[in-house]
Amino acid sequence: MDHIAVRTKKLSKSYTQGLYALDDISIQVDHGKVLVVMGPSGSGKSTLIRTFNGLEPFDEGEVNVLGIQIDSTYDERKIRKIRKRVGMVFQQFNLFPHLSILENITLAPIQVQKRRPIEAEEHAMHLLSQMGIATHSSKYPSQLSGGEQQRVAIARALALKPELLLFDEPTSALDPERVNEVLDVMRRLAKQGMTMVVVTHEVAFAKEVADQVLFMDAGKVIETSTPDLFFSNAQHERSRRFLNQIEKK
Amino acid sequence: MKQFNKLYFQLALLAAVFILLAILINNLTINLSRAGLEFSFSWLYRPASFALAEHPLPYSPSDSYAWALFMGWLNSLKVIIVSLFLATCIGVFMGLARTSNNTILNFTSAIYITIIRQTPLLLQLMFWYFVAFLGLRDNTFTPLKGILSISNQGIELLGLNLSSEFSALLFGLSVFAGAYIAEVVRGGILSVSTGQWEAFRSLGLPESSGLYKIIIPQALPAIIPGLTSQYLNLAKNSTLAIAVGYSDIYAVNDTVINQTGRAVESFIILLVSFLILNLIITNGMEIINRMTLNTNKYQ
Amino acid sequence: MPNKIIKSGLKLLENNIRDLFSNLLSLILRLCIISAIGLTFFYIFQWLAITANWKVVSSNVPLFAFGSFPSDQRWRPSLWIISLLFLSIFTLIGPNRKWLRRILPFAWISTIPIGIYLLSGGLGLLPVASRDWGGLSLTILLTGCSFLLSLPLGILLALGRQSKLLVIKHLSSLYIDSMRAVPLIAVLFFGQLLIPLFLPLGVEVDRVWRAVLAFTLFVSAYISEDIRGGLQAIPNTQIEAAETLGLNQFQITFFVLIPQALRIALPALANQAIGLFQNTSLMAILGLVELLGVGRSLLANPEFIGRYIEVYIWLASVYWLFCTFMAILARHIEQRMAIDKPNLVP
Repeated sequence: MDHIAVRTKKLSKSYTQGLYALDDISIQVDHGKVLVVMGPSGSGKSTLIRTFNGLEPFDEGEVNVLGIQIDSTYDERKIRKIRKRVGMVFQQFNLFPHLSILENITLAPIQVQKRRPIEAEEHAMHLLSQMGIATHSSKYPSQLSGGEQQRVAIARALALKPELLLFDEPTSALDPERVNEVLDVMRRLAKQGMTMVVVTHEVAFAKEVADQVLFMDAGKVIETSTPDLFFSNAQHERSRRFLNQIEKK
Repeated sequence: MKQFNKLYFQLALLAAVFILLAILINNLTINLSRAGLEFSFSWLYRPASFALAEHPLPYSPSDSYAWALFMGWLNSLKVIIVSLFLATCIGVFMGLARTSNNTILNFTSAIYITIIRQTPLLLQLMFWYFVAFLGLRDNTFTPLKGILSISNQGIELLGLNLSSEFSALLFGLSVFAGAYIAEVVRGGILSVSTGQWEAFRSLGLPESSGLYKIIIPQALPAIIPGLTSQYLNLAKNSTLAIAVGYSDIYAVNDTVINQTGRAVESFIILLVSFLILNLIITNGMEIINRMTLNTNKYQ
Repeated sequence: MPNKIIKSGLKLLENNIRDLFSNLLSLILRLCIISAIGLTFFYIFQWLAITANWKVVSSNVPLFAFGSFPSDQRWRPSLWIISLLFLSIFTLIGPNRKWLRRILPFAWISTIPIGIYLLSGGLGLLPVASRDWGGLSLTILLTGCSFLLSLPLGILLALGRQSKLLVIKHLSSLYIDSMRAVPLIAVLFFGQLLIPLFLPLGVEVDRVWRAVLAFTLFVSAYISEDIRGGLQAIPNTQIEAAETLGLNQFQITFFVLIPQALRIALPALANQAIGLFQNTSLMAILGLVELLGVGRSLLANPEFIGRYIEVYIWLASVYWLFCTFMAILARHIEQRMAIDKPNLVP
């Protein structure tokens, strides 16, 4: 039990009667591992990882994150507990536009974790220099490029020293030439042993970093396997069709 | 547990509001009974014994307070409806002028909008009354003989007599609201994408028919909500009639309070009559809105 | 062949002549309009410079500025108005240092209590009763106090109207909607005549503060709708991001929602402030001698009887100048925020 970071059991969510966003999903992610979730748009992959930190309520089944169990009754106290230990990075960055880069990163450590402002700022500067954007610390989000904003968003998530990081298509909103500066940061995090669940279409990244690949379609898990097996010899027709389409791009 | 807390919190808040109201009403009854003015509406049937300069229906000082108040309400309704019409004409014209390419029109409209919007309405009303009408003294303007004549007694148009108080209020309100309506019209026209202008121009349509057939129908849905709120503002602003001596509902109320001391009851009557005026305007605009939506099938 | 050439030549000539005429016509029309405008300006200028008698204004400038404030104490409102002027100029063209910018809002807020102190006296200054306050200084005081009080009340009402707690939501909506349905003069009338009736025996509130209270009750309803518009313009993803970071409801409201809503609502809030400045003139018919009230009392003075146009033009210019200045100030602040943050929705 201790080695499990995330586990779902028979997780289901329907938007309207008979139309499932998530359909009977049971998966498991171990500590220190990287799970990459792939699938066509509308397949429920974003919905799945958003249930992990309570952004998305669900109808049936249960989710266990870092030993905290939540079910279809929306227990705010438990969800707050999970959120304090789980970081998330969004497709659209979702930085706070009215706060400077440094304030974006230190807001939660100071307000939620009650850390001393000076300490929080030092930690934030340390993270920013790791991301290679320390010089931007007093700028505002709109003055940064997409790739820089996304690295700030990662630093903001890391500032809370999370035990699990969720990435919801972190490179989909970026210009193609900016994708790698974000993926490099994620590769380094994986090497440092961070537990990560990543929704992405980046095949090269998945091949290199993932311990496990999960393919979803229409709210169902179609197949789970290692990246080697999945990308060379996918078991299902639908997975193969999806991979073909991606490669054509 | 948490749900219960929320429930109790709301109940406590509700109780606090009621207790506060109870204290205030208690103070009120004590203060009123000390003045010998217990809350009642029976005085409404006593004779008003003051004259009204204007009354759409027959009225004499021996009529009741209620009838006098009703005359005030009708006077309000009269000036509001006529101003709504005039203000819309001014506003649409000035709004179109503000978006036109004609430098002179554009400049005139910009000057008009800034002067009217950046000075108080009350000052403008006094200007219209004391300068534009009473300032004429004994001079009488007859721009169109037998049709229109203007003097310090007001306006005579085709045998229709408009008092100087009514005319000053009418022009003051209309010119003021017109500036705000012009901005609403301008905003609505600017909300139509430039692609639509380019499209009708490239089809060879002349500017004017493109404006009326293509641009304005698309701007209307954006204009009508702004127009409604400007109309409601105009109705509220009509209460400044007291500054030019026109007997609208507020002015009659003021006289009644001065005579009877019944401030609370009169205030309630004022609020209710305003509620009715508001309802009339919002419902009227709702009908117009539905009509324009019906003609705009593309929505 | 030559026939054809002549024909086309004639046609060209005809076209040219037609163009010439239509150009000539529009030229004449344009000249007419321009000369009409020019003539109007000439007559206005002539009236302003020659016909008008500005003595009613020039001999009463202190009255317009301070009302019946004791003449040996007039340095107090003067000091206040001048410091406000300096602060505005500093806001417009002052150096763009970060720490200076940070203290500017607090400097602006502190002008209100300083103004109240300078006007009312006490603590070493000669006390001046509020019935002697008047003119422009009273107009500014009414505007500043009412707006400063309306802002927090408006924010609370906007949050209340968005609340998930039904009681709070409906109470806020009821208050906002009924306040917005009522004419301002009725609310001010309520403040002057009815508030004393609702107070317990022996408790009295000064009429200036009753006016401030009435303006606050009225304006906060309008401000709350502007702020609600700002709140609704914030994308839901901002709340999600804040929730993900573990911020609680209060922290999200205070650090993420309100600052962004205020920024989005800034132009609308500026319009409310300008409207409030103009609407303080209503107190002239409810017994305070503010800027318009001074004009009214002067016109009732036999010495200046009939000098309506001069007084009204003078007052209109003062109001216009202040309102335009406020609008420029607001646009400046808005633009500087836009330089830091070009798009609020990333």
